[in-house]
This record gives sequence, structure tokens and C-alpha cells, in this order.
Amino acid sequence: MLGQYLVYLTFTVSLLSTIFYWYVLQSKSIQFLNYARNLFYISVVGIIAFSSLLIYFIFTHQFQYNYIWGHSSTDLPLPLLFSTFYAGQEGSFNLWALFTGILGIPLLKYAIKRNYEIELMVVFGSIFSVLLLFLVVKNPFTFIWDVFPKELIGQGKIPSTVTKYIWLNQTEGIWAMVPVEGKGLNPLLQNYWMVIHPPILFIGFTAMSIPFSYAVAALIKRDFQSWIIIAKPWIVFGSMILGCGILLGGFWAYETLGWGGFWGWDPVENSSLVPWLVSVASLHTMRSQKNTQGFIRTNFILSILCFLLVLYSTFLTRSGILGETSVHSFVTPGAFIYWLLLGTILLFSTMGFGFLIKRWKEIPKPESTYSILSREYSLFLGASVLVISSFFILIGTSSPIITTLMKGKASAVEINYYIQTVLPLAIALGILSGLGQILWWKNTPIKTLSKKIFLPVILSLIFTIVSYYFGATELAMLILLFSSFFMLSVNLIVLWKILKGKIYLAGSPITHIGFSIMLIGFITSAKYDSKQTISLEEGKTISALGYNLTYVGYEPLERNNYAFNILVNQGENNYTVLPTMFINKQDNNIIRQPDILNMLIKDFYVSPLSLEDGKAAGQEVDLVKNKISTINGVSLKYFGYTFVQNQKTGNELTLSIEYKNKSVKEIINPKMLNMKGEVSYSSVKTKDGEFDISIISVNPAKSEEQTTAKILLTSLTSVQEPKKETLIVEATIKPLIILVWFGTAIVMLGYLITLFRRIKESR
Amino acid sequence: MNFRFILGIVVIVASIIFASISFTETNIEYMSFNEALRADKKAQVKGEWVKDKPVYFDPVKNSFSFYMKDDNETEFQVILEGAKPNNFEIAESIVAKGKCSDNIFHASSVLTKCPSKYEGNNEALKNTI
Repeated sequence: MLGQYLVYLTFTVSLLSTIFYWYVLQSKSIQFLNYARNLFYISVVGIIAFSSLLIYFIFTHQFQYNYIWGHSSTDLPLPLLFSTFYAGQEGSFNLWALFTGILGIPLLKYAIKRNYEIELMVVFGSIFSVLLLFLVVKNPFTFIWDVFPKELIGQGKIPSTVTKYIWLNQTEGIWAMVPVEGKGLNPLLQNYWMVIHPPILFIGFTAMSIPFSYAVAALIKRDFQSWIIIAKPWIVFGSMILGCGILLGGFWAYETLGWGGFWGWDPVENSSLVPWLVSVASLHTMRSQKNTQGFIRTNFILSILCFLLVLYSTFLTRSGILGETSVHSFVTPGAFIYWLLLGTILLFSTMGFGFLIKRWKEIPKPESTYSILSREYSLFLGASVLVISSFFILIGTSSPIITTLMKGKASAVEINYYIQTVLPLAIALGILSGLGQILWWKNTPIKTLSKKIFLPVILSLIFTIVSYYFGATELAMLILLFSSFFMLSVNLIVLWKILKGKIYLAGSPITHIGFSIMLIGFITSAKYDSKQTISLEEGKTISALGYNLTYVGYEPLERNNYAFNILVNQGENNYTVLPTMFINKQDNNIIRQPDILNMLIKDFYVSPLSLEDGKAAGQEVDLVKNKISTINGVSLKYFGYTFVQNQKTGNELTLSIEYKNKSVKEIINPKMLNMKGEVSYSSVKTKDGEFDISIISVNPAKSEEQTTAKILLTSLTSVQEPKKETLIVEATIKPLIILVWFGTAIVMLGYLITLFRRIKESR
Repeated sequence: MNFRFILGIVVIVASIIFASISFTETNIEYMSFNEALRADKKAQVKGEWVKDKPVYFDPVKNSFSFYMKDDNETEFQVILEGAKPNNFEIAESIVAKGKCSDNIFHASSVLTKCPSKYEGNNEALKNTI
């Protein structure tokens, strides 16, 4: 009971703290401020306490808690037990709330120094309280017998079959069975990337609530200018962490999920990308506001949107509304969580936009004196493009909701939707990211611009022509490459100049350099990859994509998995790749994991598709109803099939074939028996003793006349080589994918430099 | 200011139009198999796997063939470009995306909807007590 009560208590304390802050704000009676502040500290201690308790219960396998029973098992190694913490609905809300509490401490100290505490904590405290409310509703400490009372609770004498039990009420003899083992962790989460990826993403989600809190606090305070500088380090931090989380997710999808790429435009990925794009947009318009005192409303709107979009994405992925339109099998958490999530979005939209509308007329309108050829204008355009692309992605991701509202049936958009809408915007972004660095504030004389733009344009043209020479021949790709090269060369030149002077200013060009490198990596690896499906018969060497591949059998790995051993040879280099494919016992799920040869200029990506068992020697013959197929002097006429359904003995399918060989003629009936999905075949030996005939597959087409079948004709007189086990893989060459990871690292470096600069500035 | 305001409106309207055109173009409707036969465009058909009928993977063409029954109980053959989808055997329902021709549904992707295995279910409970 301790855990459950701690959750209730923490929620109550946090709510009280927020109410006190609100009271202080209303009444200006400072004597209550200490209560509010201390209550907040207590609530953070509370969440740390029950989160530690949950971790302790997970580590000690306390399966009397429904959550732990549902997401853990005794055979999990230590790091994966950490994943259990956030593998499910309750735990991931817990993690989010935990980070919100922990980040709240430095945020509070920071705000106190800058005289922002009361207003900020009213908003931030309500966010923290709502997250705790989710835990009250979906309590991770719910006992398993409360979920399964009929199955687990008993009264009176305990039967000898019960291995583990707990007394609920000993005087009345009421007891409950306790599971001795858990259901286990979702196999897709049993991966070390999964141990770090979700926490980072949740820190990002938490951080997105900070710009929202500052924006609303600033509106309450009527501080329309200086809040930007105060909030900026937090926004840079949030954007950096969220971006890092998204990219780690991409890396995970590439390395272990076998998606074949780092980005699948999946709702889960998209819904974290959308708020991130908006946060990046807000970083740029805030930069403009700092210099021009304009864009005040824009910055309020974007900061509010960042958090609302995080909430909306949580709603999309957690409410079960995407249903069967997503690859991810989302659990339906129940109507209550659905409405709670919707209510939360409504609450914070009202809070954010309510205050904005209330102050709208008070917000000063500075004379806008900037021209089209000014830095603020290109920053604004760039931010607009980012917001528009996030809008496009949002519409695509929300497609199941939109189509349900419009047509009554949910359907998703194809991946193509994202590519065709985002591609033109990416081109615009590249050009604007270059121009933004060249242009001056307010106005730029055309002469200066053309002087500055000359070298980058020439460089980008040269690079684009080189890419054309290397095979990038599509116009759209060439334009995108040109724009990426333009972004790259401008920022390299800017960086070069900065490095001679103030290094702390280098954050922006470095980040943009990283992005342009990433963009180039996206194009080369995703657009100009080459793919081939290869059947690898055991022991036989097959050439594909310039490599010689030989499948040499499988070898056992840890935890009952098997890896396929494939020798890869190219010229004098020999490698081994070990893609894995296994059936997870818990849910009969086939898990396919690729293996990748990382080379400097390209990756060789081998993903297993299926394993075909060895087959007896023989020839496959296709049969069409009432037609004669002739092979090796034998003629076979297919008359059709009979199908007898029987629940007990299985469904039996019998073919009727006329066999004619020299003077021998007979009707043969090979059979196929299907017993609840388990198929067995019985073959027929011909009377002349020359052949053995068995079914491979039967195609009972719609019209009787078109029925076809495939049989295996095995000669019993002449010896043929039996067919060995065959592994089917998809091999892909991904050129220059290293640029994506390299670019990512540079982006993160740029963010870090910017973060330090903004922290210094806010002092 | 006025000029920029109008430009902004134009950009917003243009993007909404662009988004809605792309949206309707790439959105694939749900239909029954018979509707998909007549439609002559990409469609999604929801249904169940017919377990008694043959299942075959062709390694040369890299295609996976099976039989499906849609919600109107119409049975038809599906040929998927690719290997057997994950969770195929245990799927409660299947959504095939693709086009019909010659009475065969040529699917570019098959989604499997699984029983919610990670929320408490009684079968798992019995095994762990």
C-alpha cells in the first residue's frame, strides 16, 4: 500500500503547492510563499521516493504489483530491468513526471534569482500536478489482485496447488495468489538502445514544458521582452535533448529494428518530431526578437505550441486513437485516460492562449523597419517554413482522426505524403539557413549581398555538379543537394571568420553545418541506396551488389537466440555478418535484427527475411486445371481437388492428377492435411516406381476453371542433389550514411556551445 | 506591413491547399475486397487470415502468398511483395494495402493487429502463478 499512498500524497502536496503559489500571486501575501516553495520541494522528494520504490520492486521481482508482473520477468539482466520502469503506460508517465520534478528544482532556483518564481511556478506546478494525476489514475503500484480479483482472490483453506500467496485479511481468511513469474518485457524493448532512448526523449518532453511555463508566466507578469533572455537557455536545452532523443530513436531503428532506415515516418517518431521543429522555429524567432524587439506574439504562440504539441503527440500515441493504422500495436488504455488526455490538452490550451488573448492588445507593436533583405526577415521565413513542415507532418500523422471525422473510417497516409510535402520545404530551409547568416539586421545592400553570396554559390554549384557526376541525376534531388551545399558552405565561411575571434559565437554556424551534413547524408543513404533480395542456399556463394555472400549456417547466441552466419567477401576483404531472426516465446513474435558492415563511405546492411527449410530433390511443376503439363517425358493433367473439412482430424485437401509416362497411365491423389495450421503432406509413389509426387501448394482461385497447383516431382531412379536450407536476406548498400551520424554529432556540439552562450547571457 | 500580411495569408492558403491535395492523394481508403476489385486504385482491406488455405513464400520473387477473408466474408488470395509479416500467426486481424488485379490482391504492405498482449490477460496469468 505504501507505493499507492505515496503517489496520492505526492499529488496532493504538489496540487497544494500550486494553489499556494496561485494564492500568493492573487493576494500578493508573501508570507505564504515559503509554504508553496517547501511544498514543491516535498512533492519532488515524494516522486523521487516512489520512483525509487518502484525501481526497488522491479529489481526484487515483486509480481504482486500488476505493472511489474506485466512488464518484467526474473530472467532479465540488470540494464533491461531499468527498461521495465518505462515499458508500459503507467511507468512512462511516471518517468515523465519524475523528470519534471527533478528539473523543477534547478528551474525554481533559477527563477527565484530572476524574480520569476511565483508566476512560473503557478504554471509549472500545474503541469507537474496533472502528470501526477495521471499516476493517481494509472497507479504503477496497483496490486495484481485488484486487476484480477476473480482469478486470484480466495477465501478459506489454501489449495495445495497455490505456490505463493499473501493474506489480505487473515481473520476472515481472505488471501490472494501472487504470480511467481512476470509476463516479461516487450521483446522490441529488450535492447540496450532502449535503455537510454526513452529517458532522453522524456527529458526533452519535460523540457518543452519550460518555454510554455515561461511564456505564460511572462504574460501574467506583462513582461514581453526580457522573458526571452531568461527562458532561452531552457529552450536551447529542451530542443537539444529532444533532438538528441529523436536521433537516438532513429539510430535504434536503423541498427536493431531492421526498418532499413533511420526514419520510417511512424506516428511515434513523427509525434516527437513535430514539437521539436516548432522549438527550433522558436529559437530563431527569439533570436530576432532579441535584436529587433519585434515578433513578440510569434514567440508567445510558438512557446505555447511546443508544449501543446507534446501533449497532443502523447494523446495520439497513448490514447489508442491511431488504432490499427499504425505499425505499432498501441494498447487501448481505456476511455478514462483518453478523456483525461483530451482534458489536459484543453486545460493547457485555455491557459496558454487564454492569457495571450487577454494580453493581446497590451503587447506593443514595434515599428517594423526591416526590409526583405534582412536577417530578421529570413529568420522569420525560416521559422515559418519549420512551422509549416511541422503542420504538414502533424496533418499526416493525425490522418486516422481526420478521416474518421470526415468519412467515418480511419485510414493513414502513405509515406510518400511526407516526402512530397517536406521535400520542397527542406530546399527552402537550406537556402534560408545560408541567407540568414549572410544578411545584416534591418537591411542589406544588394552589393554586399552579391559579394558575400558569390563564393558559396560557386562552391555549391561545383559540389552539385560533382554529385551529378556520382549519380544524383534527379532534378529535385539536385536542387536539394544544392541548397544543402549552400547551407554548408555559407556556414563554413562564417565559422572560419568566427574561429579567428570569439569562439563562443560559433554555436549557430556549427549547428547549421551539422544539419547540412545530415541532409546530404539523408539524400545519399535513403535516396541513392541499392537494394536486392537474395536467396542464399547453404554453402553456395551468391554475388550481389558487388559482394560475394555465403550462408554457412547458424550459431547460438545468448538468451536462446540464433544468428545466421553469412560470410561476405569483396576482393581481398573477408567479413562475417550475423543477422538474427528468432521467434519470441512470449508472444510468437518474429524478431528480425539486421547486421551492418560499417564502412567509411557506405554501410552494407543485411536484413534477414525468412529461412526456408531444406527440400528433397525434385522438380517443381505448375499445374493448371484441365491442362496438361509435360516435364521430362512425363505428362500430368490436373483435374482439380477435393476439400474435406473436419474439426477433429483436420482439413484434408486431395488433388486428382492423371499421370502418363510412356505406356503407364494412372490417377494419383497426393494429399495435404491441415491440422489447426500445422500442415503435413503425404506423397504418392507412381505404379511404375519412377516418381514420387507431393503437393507444394494449391491455389483454389475464385473461378473453378482457373485453379492451379504446384507439385514436387521427384525421380526415384536418377539421383538428384537435395536442396539445402535457404536463407533469404535483403541486402542494401547505404552510401555515406556516416554523414547522418557525423552531422548529428556536430549538431549536438553546436547546441552545446549555444547553450553555454545563452546561460552566460541570462545572468 | 500590409504587403507582408497578404504574403503571409497567401503562403498559409497555399500550404493548406498543397497539404490537402497531397493528403487526399496519398490516403488509401478502406474497402471490402469486392469494392477494391472495382476501384482500380490503391486500397486497404481489413480481414482475417484463412488458416486452412495454403501459405507460400516465393524466395525468387520475394513474395508471400496467403488467403484472407474480409469483413463481408469474401475470400481472396493476397500476394505480398516481401516476406511474412511480423506477428502473422497470432494476428487477430490483418490490414492489406495494395491493388487488385485478376482476382488477386497484390499487397505492398500488410499490417497485423495483435491481441493486446501487454495488458493483463488471463492466459498469461495462469502460466505465471
